[in-house]
Amino acid sequence: MAEPFKNTPPAPESKGEMTAANIAAALAGESQASQKYLAFADVADGEGYPNVARLFRAVAYAESTHARNHLSVLGLIGTTEENLGAAFGGETFEIDEMYAAYMAVAKLQDNKSAQTTIRYADAAEKDHQAIYDAVGKGVANKQDCGTDAVRVCPICGHTVIGDAPDECPVCGTAGVYFKEF
Amino acid sequence: MSDTIARDEALEKRLPKPEDLNPMTQESLAAAFAGESQAAEKYLVWAEQAEAEGYPNVGKLFRAISFAESRHARNHLRVMGGINRTADNLAAAFAGESFEVDEMYPAYHEIAKLQGNNQAVRSINYALKSEVDHKGQYTDARESVLAGNDIAEAPVNVCLACGHTIIGDAPDKCPYCGATKDLSRTF
Repeated sequence: MAEPFKNTPPAPESKGEMTAANIAAALAGESQASQKYLAFADVADGEGYPNVARLFRAVAYAESTHARNHLSVLGLIGTTEENLGAAFGGETFEIDEMYAAYMAVAKLQDNKSAQTTIRYADAAEKDHQAIYDAVGKGVANKQDCGTDAVRVCPICGHTVIGDAPDECPVCGTAGVYFKEF
Repeated sequence: MSDTIARDEALEKRLPKPEDLNPMTQESLAAAFAGESQAAEKYLVWAEQAEAEGYPNVGKLFRAISFAESRHARNHLRVMGGINRTADNLAAAFAGESFEVDEMYPAYHEIAKLQGNNQAVRSINYALKSEVDHKGQYTDARESVLAGNDIAEAPVNVCLACGHTIIGDAPDKCPYCGATKDLSRTF
């Protein structure tokens, strides 16, 4: 029998250590499944299977709802001010630690495509770090950020507030391809 | 290449290509893929939170950056050779769902019950039940694609509370979590 629906995700709770580790692993799994299915949807569109593509996008959304529920149980949905702080912390770790280390290994092993994908990501995380820093200061004073459009390069993820450049400075993609939010 | 993502050549040529990776670089990219994927999901949830708090522009910003992280996830996945033809992608998707249904969630469920973590049990149950839906849908879709056919042009409805996924009309009430029909998203 279905439990009565309360329009809230499962709530944060004090967890056993093993359960906390498991929900964190499940969050990682659901997040990766969602991203895989979005990429698979693009491939299905390219092969002439628009309805398979739609199925992949729907299931990606379902995995996103699971990721959100797990995130809630883990207590990782804070106030916006806290969320911006956590976002800044995550970007900083990726720039200072993760991508720096991974780039060193990819260079040592002469894996060229790996270097490209790491370089694209690292450059965009620097955009994000600066943006989260500025926006976090505004929200600490209860100020929303500006209404300017945010534009993102569909290839490397380079993120700008305002107009797209003529050409992406990171990967060279023409600005007309940038996705506007 | 069989895994073409962008049909536009100007875009395709700038995407990182699949590569034979050394094990440590492979491990690095797998970890980076996990990190980017989780960042993309977190930012979507935090966008909703910002909107609920009356920060619509912060909400928009989180959605934009989520999209950027999603581009990184796709690039890393592609370099690792994880994006293939649709029939193969459906097989990989089926295998992932099967692991979650047969191994991961039943084990996590037992431990959460043992530890009396009721909210964790709820979150696990919602996911486990919908992964069973996905397994069936991916099986049918693969059979169709192997025969060279797209699947039927029916709506796919997803419950926004628990992820229950059905091909066709949404039920009046979600059988997994009780959410009403208006809380289902149509693709």
